[in-house]
Amino acid sequence: MAYLSTTNYLEDKNFVDKWLYTMRTGELDLSWMKASTEKIKPHEANARRGLTYRDLDLGSYGFTGVPEKVRTNRSYAPRGAEIPAGVPDSQPWVSRKSEVWAFNTESYYEEAVTRQWNVTTDIPWERLDGVELPETTGKALSQLMTFLTEVEMIATDTPAMWLPRLNPDFIEVKAFIAAQAMDEARHTEAFRKRALTTGWGLMQASPMNEMALKHLRDADSFSEMSVALHLVAEGNVLTLFRFSEYLSPTDVDKRIFRLVMQDEARHVGYGMQHFKYVLENFPEKREVLHAHLDEAENISFAGAAATELTEAFIILAGGGLKRENIEEGIKITTKFNLKQMEEHFERLEKCGMPERKERSKLFQMYQAGVAAAEAAGIKL
Amino acid sequence: MAFYADKDYTVDETVLEAANQVMAGNLGLHWYDAKTEKVKGKPSDPRRGLTYQDLDLGSYGYTQIPENLRTSQSMVARGSEKVGVLPDMGYVVNRKSDVWADNVTDLYEEDKARRWTPAIDVPWAELDAHPLPAPVEAACSQLYTFLQECSLVSLDFAARWVPLINQDFIEQKSWLCAQMLGWARLGEAFRKRALYGGAGLGRASNTAEQGLKEWLWADTFPHGSLSINLSLGGFVLAICRHVAAFAPSKADRVLHGFAMQDTARQTAYGLGQLRYFLSHRANELPATQSYVDFTEHVMLALLGSPELLEPLIIISGGGLEKEQVRSGRLAVSKFIPLVVSEYLERLEAAGMSGRRERSRIPSVIDQIQVAA
Amino acid sequence: MAISFPSTEYFEALKGQMAAQPEKFRRLGFIDTTFGVRVGQNGKARNFVLEFEVFDLKNVREVDAIDLRRVDFAIEGDSRVWREMLENISRNGEADSLHDINTLAHFGEQLKIVYDDPDGHDKLYRFMESIQKFFDLSSKVEVSFS
Ligand SMILES: [Fe+2]
Ligand SMILES: [Fe+2]
Repeated sequence: MAYLSTTNYLEDKNFVDKWLYTMRTGELDLSWMKASTEKIKPHEANARRGLTYRDLDLGSYGFTGVPEKVRTNRSYAPRGAEIPAGVPDSQPWVSRKSEVWAFNTESYYEEAVTRQWNVTTDIPWERLDGVELPETTGKALSQLMTFLTEVEMIATDTPAMWLPRLNPDFIEVKAFIAAQAMDEARHTEAFRKRALTTGWGLMQASPMNEMALKHLRDADSFSEMSVALHLVAEGNVLTLFRFSEYLSPTDVDKRIFRLVMQDEARHVGYGMQHFKYVLENFPEKREVLHAHLDEAENISFAGAAATELTEAFIILAGGGLKRENIEEGIKITTKFNLKQMEEHFERLEKCGMPERKERSKLFQMYQAGVAAAEAAGIKL
Repeated sequence: MAFYADKDYTVDETVLEAANQVMAGNLGLHWYDAKTEKVKGKPSDPRRGLTYQDLDLGSYGYTQIPENLRTSQSMVARGSEKVGVLPDMGYVVNRKSDVWADNVTDLYEEDKARRWTPAIDVPWAELDAHPLPAPVEAACSQLYTFLQECSLVSLDFAARWVPLINQDFIEQKSWLCAQMLGWARLGEAFRKRALYGGAGLGRASNTAEQGLKEWLWADTFPHGSLSINLSLGGFVLAICRHVAAFAPSKADRVLHGFAMQDTARQTAYGLGQLRYFLSHRANELPATQSYVDFTEHVMLALLGSPELLEPLIIISGGGLEKEQVRSGRLAVSKFIPLVVSEYLERLEAAGMSGRRERSRIPSVIDQIQVAA
Repeated sequence: MAISFPSTEYFEALKGQMAAQPEKFRRLGFIDTTFGVRVGQNGKARNFVLEFEVFDLKNVREVDAIDLRRVDFAIEGDSRVWREMLENISRNGEADSLHDINTLAHFGEQLKIVYDDPDGHDKLYRFMESIQKFFDLSSKVEVSFS
């Protein structure tokens, strides 16, 4: 047994006797009524939005008041409750606020709750009835979906793995991370279901991408995980979804990409806000994050060898396998690759890491790519 | 860093060459004839949309997942073609009977279909229009403090196991993700309710938390699931039903109406999983019986913790006057055996026959009833 | 024209009301359960089986006796209790919290939930909001009690 309660309550005579006494006499102890906790009266700031976590950001219950180093709660007690002696240690790994916090976390969570959608019923699957895609685009779409299913899977494991490691006082972050796990499960479901309705089924795994994805999960700290997952990987995926929506062979695919995009933008939003927060509030971390980004960008380089994805993308973008299709597909794919990198550096800069460009080999590759594209007459 | 890419790709010529070849229009198309089953799934009932049940097809289906997963440890989506060197994700739960339940896909689909939003679905203003008497509001703040502790533990349980469970059990993992959101949402609802009433939070319960940690930290998924999904889920479900029945306000009634649906799904999975586990692994029954012998004292810790018991008496009786406490006590003396009898009934139904006779809890509960 | 309770016509009328408000029931989510309703009177009883599927009441029929192995659960009660509940619904437009199914059945003292498998029993709570809203539709039907 990994943990044994300090008391076996079946054998604790005092515990049972006290219980019996209460039930027999109705004499209540009521010591909990004297809990030295704050009394507050929250109000709905906007009745149409209902009662939000932000409305509860008051005094000792609020998230604003959570200190940088949480020293007083390591149990399962909700923030602001009285914590008696004898509660267990929930063994958090992360008890420093700037390691997890992001401006707006509570709103990202509330947004996630109100904007849950259902792959089963919110996608007009019946419209695929009778739709037969040509073999080339059908297979390319299936291959893209196969890759995306792999991506989304790591995006469920990673937040889930970190969630129990977060100090219980980070209620809103834990809630956001839980909502993210559900969002990613839904994305896996969307892409899997789409692959299994193309007529081609799932296609081939992507070893290079899987290697890259494993790196997301196995980070040393939450902040490093977050910059690699929320900012780099999901940022890239967001660009990919936008292009995929544009390239979608059917309106069903368009709808799928539009819906997953909403969720993904929320994850990236959190990632950006967190990155900003950690840089501002935990300056010693900057070099650590740079080093982690070096690895994340190394992985971006590796992704270039995942030709099963690039090729599928080219076919979808060009609409087939004929020479002119491929030429057109390469143009769009080039734009896409460069757009992904451009947005990546834009995000980092916006969050307070403009010096990334000087350090990054990926940025050099981006610049070389832009020059080559222009030389080839590709309008960016 | 626990994991580095196998080389420095920024200087790797082969990668660059591969990418350049493709971008020059020389497509290798090694994936184009993937050796996978060609299927075209369809909704079986258009009202319901396209469910995971509709896609239980051949090599993609969940019915065909073997009991022992020996050849998949990576992120590969079940049914796709595996090629090359795929990473080992270190999954420690690789047996279907450790996690599966016949109702798990139903529960996942049901969860998505029956979602709600605490911010707007609970009529919070009712608490302003009809404020509760001070002792009842204080009792509510204590009860909802306690329920937040239960929610956090349930949330951590699902999250803790998701990254340890093999990716081939995708529907089951998705269900755990749905549970994560479900418990975050319940924790949110309970916190909002406690704080909106004006009495603040109450006191955390060391009794309950000690017990809950013992359940949460179970060594194996089936044992942990029995504790957290079946036992704790059933326990919280009963609280929701009880508070809904004795609801001090419309807000509490509505909140628990939704909360009981969520917790009932959790309980249903707990029962379904245990049933699947024991029916496929009969030899695990003795170990499971002894796990329950060892840990069921936690049920007493929960039921008897003053941070639950006393507010429940006050809420059930409507106040702290002598008569109110008396009727509250009477209601709680019916509530406690109800929880225990449903708990034992579920264990029996899952395949733990003889549990009722073996359990030491009923003898304590009998004394409680006599005392009341 | 008042519809008498209990009868298949009564449940058919609720079924019609349910179908007329698809959005409301869609929002509450799938309801996949078959359960029994038993209305006792003077030592006798009338029994019905209600089969819900997706968002609708698919089928209702009167039976001689409810086979608990073929339903998820059954709600049993004396006609007096059922009547009180339905009258409360028709007064308020929905059951107040003293008269909803959960409250009436909580300790099994007014209504009683019987079942063969606790998994079936738990479905009552999994679908409670839909089931309650279904019975609340009674406020839109003129009911007479035999
Ligand atoms: Fe995603
Ligand atoms: Fe995401």
